[in-house]
Amino acid sequence: MTSVAATARVPHAHHDDRSFVRKYIFSTDHKIIGIQFLFVSLFFLLLGGVLAMQMRWQLAFPGQPMPGGGILPDTMAPGGVILPEYYIQLVTMHGTFMVFFAIMPLLVGVYANFLIPLKIGTHDMAFPRINMASFWLAFAAGLVMFASLFVPDGAARAGWTMYVPLSARHDYSGASLGQELWSVSIILLGLSSILGSLNYITTVINNRAPGMTWFRLPLSVWSLFITAILGLLALPVLSGAAIMLLFDQVLNTHFFDTTAGGQALLWQHLFWFFGHPEVYILILPAMGMVSDIIANGSRKPIFGYHSMVFAIVAIGFLGWIVWGHHMFVSGMNPTLGSSFMVSTLIIAVPSAVKVFNWMGTMWRGNLHFHVPMLNATAFVAMFVIGGLSGIYMAATPVDMFIHDTYFIVAHLHYVLFGGSLFALFGAITYWFPKMFGRLMSEPWGKVHFWLTFVFYNCTFFPMHILGMAGAMRRIYDPTQYDFLKPMQPMNVFISISAFLLFATQLIFFVNFWYSLFKGKKADLNPWRDNGLEWSLPSPAPHGNWETVPTVYRGPYEFSSPQVAEDYLPQNRKLPTDREPASAPAAVH
Amino acid sequence: METAHKRPNYILIWVYLAVLTAAELALAFELPISRNLKLLLLLALAVWKALLVALFFMHLKFEKWNLRILAIIPLPLALIFMFAAMSEHIW
Amino acid sequence: MTHASATVDVMRAPYPAERGLDVYNHKLGMWVFLASEVMFFSALIGSYVILRFGAPGEWARPGVVLNIPITAFNTFLLICSSVSMVKAYAAIADGDQKGLRLWLGLTILGGATFVGIQVFEYMHLVERGFTPAGIREGSELAELVAKGTLPAATSGLYGSTFFTMTGFHGFHVTCGVVSMLYLYFRKVLPGKYSRQDYRGIETVGLYWHFVDLVWIILFTIVYLV
Repeated sequence: MTSVAATARVPHAHHDDRSFVRKYIFSTDHKIIGIQFLFVSLFFLLLGGVLAMQMRWQLAFPGQPMPGGGILPDTMAPGGVILPEYYIQLVTMHGTFMVFFAIMPLLVGVYANFLIPLKIGTHDMAFPRINMASFWLAFAAGLVMFASLFVPDGAARAGWTMYVPLSARHDYSGASLGQELWSVSIILLGLSSILGSLNYITTVINNRAPGMTWFRLPLSVWSLFITAILGLLALPVLSGAAIMLLFDQVLNTHFFDTTAGGQALLWQHLFWFFGHPEVYILILPAMGMVSDIIANGSRKPIFGYHSMVFAIVAIGFLGWIVWGHHMFVSGMNPTLGSSFMVSTLIIAVPSAVKVFNWMGTMWRGNLHFHVPMLNATAFVAMFVIGGLSGIYMAATPVDMFIHDTYFIVAHLHYVLFGGSLFALFGAITYWFPKMFGRLMSEPWGKVHFWLTFVFYNCTFFPMHILGMAGAMRRIYDPTQYDFLKPMQPMNVFISISAFLLFATQLIFFVNFWYSLFKGKKADLNPWRDNGLEWSLPSPAPHGNWETVPTVYRGPYEFSSPQVAEDYLPQNRKLPTDREPASAPAAVH
Repeated sequence: METAHKRPNYILIWVYLAVLTAAELALAFELPISRNLKLLLLLALAVWKALLVALFFMHLKFEKWNLRILAIIPLPLALIFMFAAMSEHIW
Repeated sequence: MTHASATVDVMRAPYPAERGLDVYNHKLGMWVFLASEVMFFSALIGSYVILRFGAPGEWARPGVVLNIPITAFNTFLLICSSVSMVKAYAAIADGDQKGLRLWLGLTILGGATFVGIQVFEYMHLVERGFTPAGIREGSELAELVAKGTLPAATSGLYGSTFFTMTGFHGFHVTCGVVSMLYLYFRKVLPGKYSRQDYRGIETVGLYWHFVDLVWIILFTIVYLV
């Protein structure tokens, strides 16, 4: 067998005699763990959407009874009419579930776990049992957060950013247990994330197959690697902050209590010091996977591979010194504000480099607009819009006006939905065959894409306009302000588009579930891609390879003159290739 | 990965640490020097002790440069955070 | 470089693979984990520094509330346990099983005593009136507040930061002791470590030294400043 204890427990692909529980429930196989994250996160994505639909009802038709609202308790929505106390819970929990339990686990929990060992050519993660612990901790965190929706005084309600003193004091917020459960859930999630990151980092550094040098790694792996570093160093700060918040809530400590010498702004600094790297965690893996998909759909190497890598590293690095741009109107030191403005403007540059490189990849490529390619292309376009609105906010004087308005809401949804979620629709479709051995329906994928694209833009683009007009975020009833009354038809338009957008996702969900059981069976390499995972059967077997592959080239050798096909896998040996220096004499 | 280097004298490092600790105690309670200078010296002593542990007990002195970078990366981040938040109270 | 697994050096990165950092997985994983721990303690300690720097008024002078002599001894004890840990590592690197058992045993004892003394200190502090929420009414320390020896404005903060920082440190020490106990009974006593493979000892040693390092910082800035 292979080298001793380090990879000793590698099971063989053919005789796998683990029990059902060991195979599918308490599994240490990175692929199963990735799939577990997928199912749980899709549930939370749906839940986040349901919460948003209720918010949109209230915003379009304030004070009107909501269809189906009768099932809500009278303390939240008597007669189906959403109360302000309930509305702010919806706002808070929509943000919390979407950021922490949908997008982050979908990008990192699913794809870091599933793709990294496959794409670097190893049997599993460096620490498979820690990997399993990481999933179950995330699951427990999700359970706690979900439970907080049903406690007597209701869920947390200080916004997903949990600013103090609203979040720390029960007499201010009206919630008690719900707020505390939020803190507990986040602490558990932080630990889960840290354990996951430590696995991804160690695996990518140490377990790459012979010949898989750093600059032959696919961009999806690079971005997941940098994301893991961001997560490793940022989540502990959030955990520390959540601990301090929990202690203020439960033990009567005074970290954030200004009446006893504490500092309310300290929470904001701690939260955003975590929070900004967090948003890069939410976009970098999407960027990486989009790079893989666009190269594939263009049948061309990625344009500027090295600059793409440096851009990812630069974004990861600069992301640590921009957090104050979330706090421009907080009353913090203005000089500090200026320095954050400068660093925030600078960080736009590497992102722009990436956009131009994606365009350069597609330029004069042999374009195949399969469903992942459609979604990846939309990612680029929507991310540009989201990024451009970010430039507005980076300028402190402009942000003074648009902070906490719908302009910000538009920006964040353009990068998170228009960006990350489109990338996820593409990624889920793309790697579905490798996960489940079947293909999702291409025609229904296209219908889903186009309808989503239209309704999504109808929902979120007008929010830029609303924000410029001064519409504040998180407010319960826009019509209570005279200056917002003329904008109310726009709110109605947005809400109706949102309802249609949500309904369209049904197509994706049905496509996903149906294809799991009845989808067309996939062969090894349905997308004719170069990554190492496409040399394995679909679905990939436990232990991945009997023998670790040897890598001879980078991942984007499409339309290479060296071969007749328009793709050239990383592990295919041509007569002109030499063995890499690290290859063993006798391959195990 | 065996140690191609000579193993450090752990007992000697222990003596250094004990001496530095005693120095810290003396500094904190006995010496009549200004508060700010005292703070600076105490911090310097603490950092020196921490470095001794990191370099010799954790063997960082003998590891490759890239592992040392890995160990150091969080420190500038922590400092940036602290100084940024402390600047609220400076002016 | 044959395929006979027995001769493969487990103290190198997994094989066959690219070289990476030339450090085996457990050790690399522990360093990566320690990087996250630095960030965690930086959040707590950094907050303490920020709060104290911006505090509205005087902070209590060192030694008034906290017991310096006992904690100084505790610091010395933890440093000694760090030395015994590295001696244990050196012992097994030389193949000395008896040395490993002796020195690791002493480390566990030192760590457990440290935690015990801390618990005792906590109990004593709470009895005197020092709690995470601040100074308790009618307690011994409340009288000091009334007299002006202990500043009222920052006493609440003092308690909050003290118990959180030292409490989480103590929690980490406890986890370290438990891990070492587990290794002691499952691997050390049955003689599963050897000159060729002592990865667990090196890995847990790194964690232990880190915990000592954090205490060195904490002792200075919490007790002595």
